[in-house]
Amino acid sequence: MTDDGAILEVEGVRKSFGGIHAVDGATLDVARGSITALIGPNGAGKTTLFNVITGFLRADGGRIAYDGRSIFRTPPHAIARRGMVRTFQITKALAAMPVIDNMMLAAPSQPGERLANLLLRPRASRARELEVRESALDLLDVFGLADQADEYAGTLSGGQRKLLEFARALMVEPRFLLLDEPMAGINPTLGARLLEHMRDLRARRNVTFLFIEHDLEVVMRHSDRVIVMAQGEVIADGEPEAVRRDQRVIDAYLGGQR
Amino acid sequence: MTTFAVTLEAFTDIDFWIGVGILAGTYTIFALGLQINVGFTGIVNFGQAGFMAIGAYTMGILVVKAGWSFWLALPAATVTAMAAGLLIGLPSLRLRADYFAIVTIAFAEIVRYVAQNARELTGGNQGLLGYDDSWAEVSAWILDRLETVGFGDQFLMPLLLVTWLTALALIVVLTIAQRTPWGRVLRAIREDEDAARALGKNTFAYKLQSLMIGAALGALAGYFLALNLAFVSPESFEPLFTFIGYAVLILGGLASYAGVALGAIVLWTLLEATRFLDLPLAAEKVAALRFMLVGLLLILLMAYRPQGILGKRREMVLGD
Repeated sequence: MTDDGAILEVEGVRKSFGGIHAVDGATLDVARGSITALIGPNGAGKTTLFNVITGFLRADGGRIAYDGRSIFRTPPHAIARRGMVRTFQITKALAAMPVIDNMMLAAPSQPGERLANLLLRPRASRARELEVRESALDLLDVFGLADQADEYAGTLSGGQRKLLEFARALMVEPRFLLLDEPMAGINPTLGARLLEHMRDLRARRNVTFLFIEHDLEVVMRHSDRVIVMAQGEVIADGEPEAVRRDQRVIDAYLGGQR
Repeated sequence: MTTFAVTLEAFTDIDFWIGVGILAGTYTIFALGLQINVGFTGIVNFGQAGFMAIGAYTMGILVVKAGWSFWLALPAATVTAMAAGLLIGLPSLRLRADYFAIVTIAFAEIVRYVAQNARELTGGNQGLLGYDDSWAEVSAWILDRLETVGFGDQFLMPLLLVTWLTALALIVVLTIAQRTPWGRVLRAIREDEDAARALGKNTFAYKLQSLMIGAALGALAGYFLALNLAFVSPESFEPLFTFIGYAVLILGGLASYAGVALGAIVLWTLLEATRFLDLPLAAEKVAALRFMLVGLLLILLMAYRPQGILGKRREMVLGD
C-alpha cells in the first residue's frame, strides 16, 4: 500500500460490541484531495468505522494509516492535531458556550491553553486570540452565523448547529475532514452553501473529505467516489455511476440476498 | 409559649460573626476547588474532604512530628495534596463521571480511616495539635496592628482577615484564569468532552490539572480549618463536609467563583444561627433539625432559583 494518492488507508479493521461485529474487516482507501461519500443502509457500521478511524473507539484489529503513518490506537486529540478532524452525527455544539467561543476553542496553536504560558507568555496568548477571533468571525459570516456570534450555541436551530460544527471543524485547519451526515437537518440553501464550501476548500487548500450521507441525490451529484458499506464490510467502491449500478449495492439497499 | 424563639442576641455579638466568617471563608476556599471541578470541568469530585484532610494532616505531621517550619510545611502539604489528586486521577479520570465520583468518595474515606488508625502519626481520634506556634506569632503581630483601629480584643480577627484575603485573592485569580483559552478548554470539557477531543484537546490532561488544582484548594482550606480548631482530628473530614461544600456550590450557583463566597456566607450563617434555636428538644435533635432546615432551604432554592444566587440560568438550561 504505497499509493501516494491515498490520504487514508484502512485495512481489515474490525470492531465488535459483545457478539455484534459492527465493523467486520473493512478495507478502503480515501484519495488525497477527493470528496468521497460513505453510504450504506442503517446499521452498516459507517459511524462505528468513523469512530474507529478517528480514535474514539479502539479497533479490535486491522490497520489504519493516515498520511502514510499508522494511527492505529492513536488518541483522538492527537489525530485531530495532525489535521484529521471529524464532526458528529448528533451535533456536539457546546451549548452553554457562546457561538464565538465554540469557534475560538477549535483553533490550534493557542499558547494560552497551557497554564505555564499564561504566566510566562501572556502576550502570545492574547495575540493569538485576536487572530483566531478574526478568522472565526470570517467563517461565521460564510455560514450566516455572524449575527449569532455572541449567543449561546444552545439557542441555535438544529441546522444552524450542523453548520456551526462544520465551521468549527474548519477552525482546526484540517487537511482531512470526516463529516457524519453533514447535510441532515439543514435547509437546502445552506446545504448548497456547505457543499460549495467543501469544493472551494478542496480547490484552494487540497482538503480531503469523507462524508457519511443518506441523501443519495447529494452523494451522486457531489462526490467523486462512493464507498458502500453493509454489515460491517465495504461491499463496493468506485465512481458514483458505477456504484449506482452495482448489483450488491442495490441488494444491500433493497434488502435482497447477497 | 416562649420556648419557640430564636435568641436574637447572638446576631449582635461580634464573636458570632467572626466565627461564622472564618467558617464561611474556609468553606469558600474548599468549595472553590469543587467549583473548578464540578462547575467548570464537569468532573464530579466527592473526595474534597479527603484532600482537605491530606493538606491539614501533612502540614500538622511535618511541623509536629518532623519538626519542619510551618512555612515550609504549607507548600509541602499542598504539593502532597496535588500529588494525591494526580494519583487518584490517573487511573480513574477516564471512568464515567458517576464511577469517578464513587472512587473519590472511597478515597476520602480511606484517608479518614488512615488518620483515625495511624495513631503514631496522626494522634488518631485524639487529634493532632501543636503546629500553630508560627501562626500565633503572625496572629499576635496582626492583632497589634488591629489594636490601633480598636479591634485588639478580637483574638480570632487575624484569622478571619487572612482567610478572607486568601479567599478573595483566589476568586480573582480563578475568575481571570477561567477567561483564558485554558479556561475555555475546561468549559468545553464540561459541555462535551468528545467534542473537545475531536477538536484536538487532550481532555485527560486538563481534567487532571483541574483535579490537582481542586486538591490544592482543598488542602488550603484544610490549613485554615486546622488553625481555627487548633487541632486536627478525623471527624473534621467526614464526607458530610464535602456535601456541605456541594450545598455551598448549589446555593452560590454553578460556574461562578464569586457565588461560592456568597453561598458559603449564607449557608454558614444559617448553620450557625440555628444553633441558637431555643426548642424544647434534646440537643442532638436540635442538631439534626439544623440540617433539616438547611435541606428545606436548598429545596426552596431549587424550586424558585435553581441556578443559585449568582449562577446563570440560561447556561444551566442549555447545558443539557
